[in-house]
Amino acid sequence: MICDRLGVDPNELTDEVPLFNDGIELDSIDSLEIIAAIDEEFGVDMTGIGKEPFYNVNSLAAYVKKELACRE
Amino acid sequence: MTTDKNRCVVTGLGMISAIGNNVSECWKNAVNGVSGIKKAEAVDTTDCYANLAAEVCDDALDNIAGADELNRVSKLCLKATGEAMRDAGIDGFDYSPKAAVIMGSCVGGVSNAEEYYKNGKSAEYVREIPISPIASHIAAAYRAGGVVTNIANACAAGTISIAYACDLIRSGKADVVIAGGADAFASVPFAGFLSLHALDSDACSPFNRCGGITLGEGAGALIIESYEHASKRNAHIYCDILGAGVSGDAYHITAPRPDGKGQICAIRRAIKSSGVKLSEIGYINAHGTGTAKNDEAEFLSLHTIFDEKNSDLSVSSTKAMTGHCLGAAGAIEAVFAVKALTEGVIPPTIGYSKEDMPRLEERAGKIDFCPNKARKKRLSTVMSNSFAFGGNNASVVFSKNAGNVKPLSKRERVFITGIGIVSPIGNGVDNYIEKIKSKIASENASAESVVERADFDACGLTNAFCRKLDKFSRLQAVSGMAALSDAGLSVTEDNAEEIGIVVGTADGPLSTICDYQRDLLKKGNAAGSAFKFPNTVYNAAGGYLSICSGIRGYNVTLTSGAQSGLESIAYAVNVLHSGDEKAVLATGTDENSETVTELYDKMGYFAEEGFRLSDGSATLVLESWSGMRERGAKPYAEILGCGTASCSAQSGSEDALERAALLALDDAGITAGDINGIVGFANGLSEVDRIETEFISNVFGERAGAIPVFNIRSVTGEGRAATAALSAAHAALIFTGKLGKIVESENLGMVAASALKNILVISYSDGGTYTAVIITR
Repeated sequence: MICDRLGVDPNELTDEVPLFNDGIELDSIDSLEIIAAIDEEFGVDMTGIGKEPFYNVNSLAAYVKKELACRE
Repeated sequence: MTTDKNRCVVTGLGMISAIGNNVSECWKNAVNGVSGIKKAEAVDTTDCYANLAAEVCDDALDNIAGADELNRVSKLCLKATGEAMRDAGIDGFDYSPKAAVIMGSCVGGVSNAEEYYKNGKSAEYVREIPISPIASHIAAAYRAGGVVTNIANACAAGTISIAYACDLIRSGKADVVIAGGADAFASVPFAGFLSLHALDSDACSPFNRCGGITLGEGAGALIIESYEHASKRNAHIYCDILGAGVSGDAYHITAPRPDGKGQICAIRRAIKSSGVKLSEIGYINAHGTGTAKNDEAEFLSLHTIFDEKNSDLSVSSTKAMTGHCLGAAGAIEAVFAVKALTEGVIPPTIGYSKEDMPRLEERAGKIDFCPNKARKKRLSTVMSNSFAFGGNNASVVFSKNAGNVKPLSKRERVFITGIGIVSPIGNGVDNYIEKIKSKIASENASAESVVERADFDACGLTNAFCRKLDKFSRLQAVSGMAALSDAGLSVTEDNAEEIGIVVGTADGPLSTICDYQRDLLKKGNAAGSAFKFPNTVYNAAGGYLSICSGIRGYNVTLTSGAQSGLESIAYAVNVLHSGDEKAVLATGTDENSETVTELYDKMGYFAEEGFRLSDGSATLVLESWSGMRERGAKPYAEILGCGTASCSAQSGSEDALERAALLALDDAGITAGDINGIVGFANGLSEVDRIETEFISNVFGERAGAIPVFNIRSVTGEGRAATAALSAAHAALIFTGKLGKIVESENLGMVAASALKNILVISYSDGGTYTAVIITR
């Protein structure tokens, strides 16, 4: 999803690499795109939450899993 | 004191916006703080967190003569320019080459893209999708025969069009200019700003709540004349336009620099070129969009410049009433600034509650932000500022006095010192030379340039940067960076503001715009992509080039058909002569894709077998003599003269091309007899080719058959603005001998390169505008 929608090179994107700052260097516009994509794909709204879940792919996945688990 | 010869005056005003269908209605409502913001009607706002807009209510728009098939943006523009022309008391221009039209727009006829996809890809909507036709329609309505172009710098477009109008007048290339801007409310900008969370869910509240913008629509027009032209016909003069300043942030594609540096540069340039003191500015019509980032940066730049220097400054944002009219904003706000100046009334910034006031006082300091209520004030000099996507900043000064505008410093010679090429036959100057020599052409009916990792690496462009760019911006970034490198010109903190960028394009990022529109129709306006939206804006490519190169000087994107790639050179020469820059990158860029090929097919371009659509980007580094000498650079060639003329006819005419060439010869101080080579524009369309042939025969008479004509389209295809700019580069390369001691022409076979001294490069556009540039050894 991040590769498709944000043009990130799949070879650079691992589950651990930081998405912002010194990692993939995503910026505020990219975070809006990630929020929209996660809402579209998983129905999880990440608007207005803190920065931590956006640290890397693992933290994004953990946040989405937790939110989906809470609903069950 | 500004000499009469150097004075530019405003003699006519026109406007249409959500708060009125003419200047007097708009002005009355602005002064009374009447907002035009309501629930949006023209755009589907289902599931959108914001649903407001400031739309024009004018039933008469559809009754404008001859405007049936035009997009709403051109109708708005015709309405405002009609009022301005009547106000100035001018009926038309009889194709005078000194009558120009400069219009600003951000999204042009993008709503036609929506109609195109909604109506089974019907061809009738295609021609009006780009920005290009807007100025042509205005020129046709009033028979303007000079420079006819559009400035596509998003929210600063309207202000830059006024700045350029004055440059044309002061350089003697125009006597009278219809300048302004227009934009119509449409799904793409609405959904795009929504995706960026940049729309306020309530009516926008600039310099106050700062919750985002509310989009508006409309048009503003000013008739700007040389003082001599206006006084000769006893015109009523509203005011003088003194100086203007244009700059680039080189920071972020949508956000302004938090340190306000780019804004400060534009404002200081406007003040300096006006020759006024900071204390003389009584009122500023601010950009004041209502987004937190813009308003913070603007508070900072205004305080940095004016605190301690001006104790009686008033500032307001009329966007609180008109909404943000994007490419029309600068023009509409210029009209408001002129009205404020001449009526002695400052329109308010509305939207403050009693509770908001302490915070405003804290942020405003000594500046009066005119909350909620207009106030009377004796004004002598006012300013209007616009700051745009892509980091483009523009500022212009209006005054009751003639100011101290310095005449153009001695007309410095301008040289080509660097070339960057991206083309369907490969990238880079050496590759181009090799392919031309071996006559390796792209054979397909529709050809595309390719830029890939190796090209980015060669220019030092990182993955993190390039992933954000669409194809249009990538073509421009690679050719621009390659040209800088070819010129050996390093951008440093010291010279960043002394280098400018002038991008020329026929169609802008047409594929990205159409893809975006298609996505919206599929998923709804609430689901626009924040990532893709910035690339739908025409000046994104120029903005990205400034970001990756660090260039912070003049930054403009102009669009007026294929000739834009050569017109960018003429524009850049004007910028160099105005003295703020030592070097300017003049470019031509257009993209081809499945979508673009489909649209050209709908317009019937492929009916003739000889026509091959392509794309690419060519960038020429132009430097003034002093700038070039200072750093010891070696030139390819010299730009001796430029001319642009228009006939306002879709099919074009050899007469207008002839006028353009004669203007260029006159500018160069030579005659047709001194020309010994031509780089033409024939592209396989019989009518286009015929115009070139007739022109050569008319201008050169008996010599016509003896002048070698070069044509690179037989090799590169018709890459529109890219090929127009590459044609100029081709002429420069002939002079260096790199294309060989003998070079192949279309009509005379091999000719000796050393026999060529002055080459005339010509270009055409669909709207009937032609630019000619003379390049010399």
